[in-house]
Amino acid sequence: MPADEKAILTALGKVMDPDLNRDIVSLGFVKNMKIVGGKVAFDVELTTPACPVKDQLKAQAEEQALSVEGVESVDITMTAQVRQSAPQSAGLQKIPGVTHMIPVASGKGGVGKSTVSVNLALALAQTGARVGLMDLDIYGPSVPTIMGLEAKPVVEENRILPAEKHGVKFISMGFFLEEEKAVVWRGPMLVKMIDEFIANVEWGELDYMIVDLPPGTGDIQLSLCQKIALTGAVVVSTPQDVALKVAQKAISLFNSLKTPVLGLVENMSYYSCPACGEKDYIFGHGGTKKAATRLGLPFLGELPLSTKIREDSDAGEPTVIADPNGEHARAFQAIAAQMAAQVSIRTMNEEAAVKINF
Amino acid sequence: MDRTTPVEISREGAHDVAILWKDGRRSSYAARYLRLACPCAQCIEEITGRPLLDPATVPEDVHPVRIDAVGHYAIQIMFSDGHGTGIFTFDRLRELDREDSDSPSPSGSPA
Ligand SMILES: Nc1ncnc2c1ncn2[C@@H]1O[C@H](COP(=O)(O)OP(=O)(O)OP(=O)(O)O)[C@@H](O)[C@H]1O
Ligand SMILES: [Mg+2]
Ligand SMILES: [Zn+2]
Repeated sequence: MPADEKAILTALGKVMDPDLNRDIVSLGFVKNMKIVGGKVAFDVELTTPACPVKDQLKAQAEEQALSVEGVESVDITMTAQVRQSAPQSAGLQKIPGVTHMIPVASGKGGVGKSTVSVNLALALAQTGARVGLMDLDIYGPSVPTIMGLEAKPVVEENRILPAEKHGVKFISMGFFLEEEKAVVWRGPMLVKMIDEFIANVEWGELDYMIVDLPPGTGDIQLSLCQKIALTGAVVVSTPQDVALKVAQKAISLFNSLKTPVLGLVENMSYYSCPACGEKDYIFGHGGTKKAATRLGLPFLGELPLSTKIREDSDAGEPTVIADPNGEHARAFQAIAAQMAAQVSIRTMNEEAAVKINF
Repeated sequence: MDRTTPVEISREGAHDVAILWKDGRRSSYAARYLRLACPCAQCIEEITGRPLLDPATVPEDVHPVRIDAVGHYAIQIMFSDGHGTGIFTFDRLRELDREDSDSPSPSGSPA
């Protein structure tokens, strides 16, 4: 007698996705089940290829399926389909083909937004996701340098083709600005430039678009949130109290604009000694995590202060590319996975909001 | 979960706030009590949890003028003294209900 599909699905119903808090069968993740005698094969389709618990889910599914009577072997293919979220509010535009727009912001400059944006984008692409990177920093567009590419993108009949490197499509304000003119590009001009990027770039199909913002809470942040449907922002902070305070400003801005915040990242968290590998939390440990807890936001992870990270960026060979299996790259990859998990959570749990009569 | 899931947030009296929770409890918060409980980084030091807000500087008649939902987990309250950076998570609000018998006593509760 061949193994029973129903019995297998019942067993798989015990495998819980810890992020979505539901089992993989009721989530509709189990697909294409084929049973030949005692041989069982199926797909598990996750909501992101960057899923942080992919291996764990696969092992559990295998174990459950094998526990069913008559099952001799199990062959599981892990796939992913990044799902669209419902628009948060009417009147916001979507970039055609782009599933999730994710701005990376901070309250103040120099905390590592660009470093984080680039490495997050590359780490997501390493998992097989289709990724874009939009550098909207008008004051110091640094993405081309970090990506190691100064070449201008191709413009064809008013359509802009993004540059591409390491599997990530990107475009930068830096491609279109002459340095000395940057400062005068304020207000309305700047907003027009963003419109241009959004309407006239051939992005193709993208699962995630990471947007590197200029520091602070100015025109660009405002117009982006007011125009474009954003899945949620990632806020980067350093551990010092003063930086956390300004990070809070950015969070308040997103809140007032009804843009969700996916979570907080702490950069330059600790110094990891190149000689012994020991972690030294120079500025005290856990400031950003505490802030995240207080604000009820996810903490996505921490990154070391490391000369290597800066050198990789300066050399145009970002850390997750330069040393993809190294400790620093793994820290970026873990944050990318947590971020992707938060996107999935937001997309899947769109429950009714509380009624406020005040 | 039901303890910290609000069903409705409404006005009580002239300026106070009431929250009806999914578990059936109705909590009331005096307007000034909420302002003094603001958890933002200007009012409470991040690392140590030390209060930074001097209650003497807060007007007696301070009250919420606007309440907005923040995601599915919190509200942001704009107060009449112009202060509006505080994000009050539902977990925290339930803790701040001092008459809720099975609530753990709120840590760092305002005087
Ligand atoms: N974890 C790190 N360890 C060491 N150096 C870092 C780290 N993160 C960033 N840096 C360096 O700090 C400087 C500022 O980083 P970056 O440009 O990413 O910050 P930013 O927030 O984008 O700045 P801006 O506000 O100017 O846009 C860069 O020289 C970068 O290489
Ligand atoms: Mg930058
Ligand atoms: Zn406050």
